[in-house]
Amino acid sequence: MQLSCRHCEERSDEAIHATASNSALDCFAALAMTVRRALYRAILLLVVLAAAGFVEIQNPLAAEVPRAVGLPKPGTYPLDHIQKVPFGIVLEGNRFPHLLSHYTKGAITLFSFFYSACADPNGCPLAFEAFEQVRAALLTRADLRSQVRFVFLSLDPIHDQPEKLRFFEKHYAQDGNPVPWHFLTTYSYLFLNPVIRDMGEDIAFDAEASVGGGFVLNHILKVYLIDREGFVREIYSNQSLDPETILGDIETLSIEAAKTQ
Amino acid sequence: MKNWARLALAAALITGGTAIATNPVLADETCLSPYTASLIKGQEAYLQVWTLGEPGLGDESDKLVTVSVDSKSPHYGKVVSSVSVGDRSEAHHFGFTDDRKYLWAGELDDSKIFVFDVGTDPAHPKLVNTLTDLPAKTGFAGPHTFYAIPGRMLIGALSNDKTGDGVTGFAIYNNKGEFLSAHPIPTDKGGDGYGYDIAINPKKNVFLTSSFTGKNNYLRDLGDLIKDSEAMKHFGNTVVLWNLKSFQPEQILSVPGAPLEIRWSLNENDDWAFVVSALTSKIWLIKHDDKGQWEAKEVGVVGDPSKIPLPVDLSISADSKRLWVNTFLDGTTHLFDISNPEKPVEIYSKVTGKQVNMISQSWDGKRVYITSSLLSNWDKKGADNEQVLRAYDWDGKELRQKFEVDFFAEKLGRPHHIKFSGEAQKASLDWPTHAAQR
Repeated sequence: MQLSCRHCEERSDEAIHATASNSALDCFAALAMTVRRALYRAILLLVVLAAAGFVEIQNPLAAEVPRAVGLPKPGTYPLDHIQKVPFGIVLEGNRFPHLLSHYTKGAITLFSFFYSACADPNGCPLAFEAFEQVRAALLTRADLRSQVRFVFLSLDPIHDQPEKLRFFEKHYAQDGNPVPWHFLTTYSYLFLNPVIRDMGEDIAFDAEASVGGGFVLNHILKVYLIDREGFVREIYSNQSLDPETILGDIETLSIEAAKTQ
Repeated sequence: MKNWARLALAAALITGGTAIATNPVLADETCLSPYTASLIKGQEAYLQVWTLGEPGLGDESDKLVTVSVDSKSPHYGKVVSSVSVGDRSEAHHFGFTDDRKYLWAGELDDSKIFVFDVGTDPAHPKLVNTLTDLPAKTGFAGPHTFYAIPGRMLIGALSNDKTGDGVTGFAIYNNKGEFLSAHPIPTDKGGDGYGYDIAINPKKNVFLTSSFTGKNNYLRDLGDLIKDSEAMKHFGNTVVLWNLKSFQPEQILSVPGAPLEIRWSLNENDDWAFVVSALTSKIWLIKHDDKGQWEAKEVGVVGDPSKIPLPVDLSISADSKRLWVNTFLDGTTHLFDISNPEKPVEIYSKVTGKQVNMISQSWDGKRVYITSSLLSNWDKKGADNEQVLRAYDWDGKELRQKFEVDFFAEKLGRPHHIKFSGEAQKASLDWPTHAAQR
């Protein structure tokens, strides 16, 4: 049976394919693809306008960060030693290698994987939003801010070259960098894979979502709170990435460290 | 204007492209930890069934059985693989890790925990780890509930390795299988110390634990147990409300009669949960009272409580307006309208077997799966001891059976807990060779 729809008659590439396959399901899929592309374009336009200062919007790419209630007082609860941060070689700003531990020991570290092209509202933009809110809160806390660093490690060493990530880092160095924010990458997946595997991150190239020249990595949003000794002490997901919770956990680690000194 | 959009745009301009991912259409089962990622896109392709071994049947071992439920597959409704664990020790419940790649499965008798890699090839899971240290590390026994939190697994136990009664707790392991901490269920301030299910409400920073009974009872023949009035006193009567951040108990709610499965409403603005008490056959609503305290409130019954139909598993619909409840002893699957959670109304029931235990539904509510086994010594005897997985379509009015797998005829054992899997969606971590060619 020959099936047709208005969408197919518009002769988009997908519609031609759908017509050729005589499948209503394919036709609907083609329609969905076109709608999704239109959505991408609309959101990108919004981003461009906002970046140029023409419109004032909340981060259009981030879902709303969750807000927890009933949090215990910092320092009154334990945080498990979940795992050690693994060995790794990373790059910052140029192609000179550094040990990952250089960025995960000696200070309380808020760490996340990311990639700069990520636009999943529940992914990197949400992490970025939470980091910015925690950073803003830390800037008002003279007792804590000097103890904390932020680290983003790219999941996309192909596109996220050190020189490119320097652009991000410079932005946060403008205000004297009271809470350092490091944007790291690796030489290649040969160096990255053991780190993400050990940290329980999981990535897959999303060919379907990347149609049209984009680059989409499916990954799980995980933000790691790491103590001075390099132990992961808390992991946040998009269900628990509450800035107040993170701040309380940072303070808990700070109190714990003060007690052991 | 927030910085991510501005910086991401600038970075994209440097490299010439960006992309925006959309949320997948959810088509997963409805009763997962809220921290479970990589939800199934589209219809489930496989069911994993954690299955008790049966003496004299096949290899007699507990096993993970995988059944194809893709109606386009030539294997639809058939067993496509089975992984035996090499012993038989009361296989019961299992649960996914937060990345949905691994299933952790427990044995209630010897307290072993098996970790299966399901994500790499869902049709052919592989046993990749066996954990045996739960009793030694915690004093708990009978690992029952496996509930994912980021990078870790909460393991709710049913008993302990000293007295075998129901005083127990839950443990936290990291996803590598390393023990992190133990948390006893409170025995003071009205607590009975018993455990069963775990259910988290991240938004409220709370979770609930329910309470069943210990090894002394759950390994015993059900007929003998019911006649033993002293033993029947040793069932849980509480639900405990915990602070999720501190893992400290905050409130103990009285819910008599072995409250088992807990289901939070899946609606973003709701803050209530259902639990059903097995021995008293009552539906309890857990919610805030007028003063902002949590309360447990009896809001209905399942079947005829005087006949002790033994309500066991629950499955809540994605819109939280319907609740399936299986009653084991009369083999009946009930459907409640819970649009008003204060007044659940039974709107449908069907005898789906001679005995029915677990029930799972798809996210769209169109497919419902049930299994038959409760515990090896609580299942019925003789001809009534049918051991099946049955798949149904639900059209809003009637359950229509699509297929059945007879686990005894297939020499597999007694099917218990069910989980869904999609087709393998994970690219290898070595994929970037083809990405680089883009």
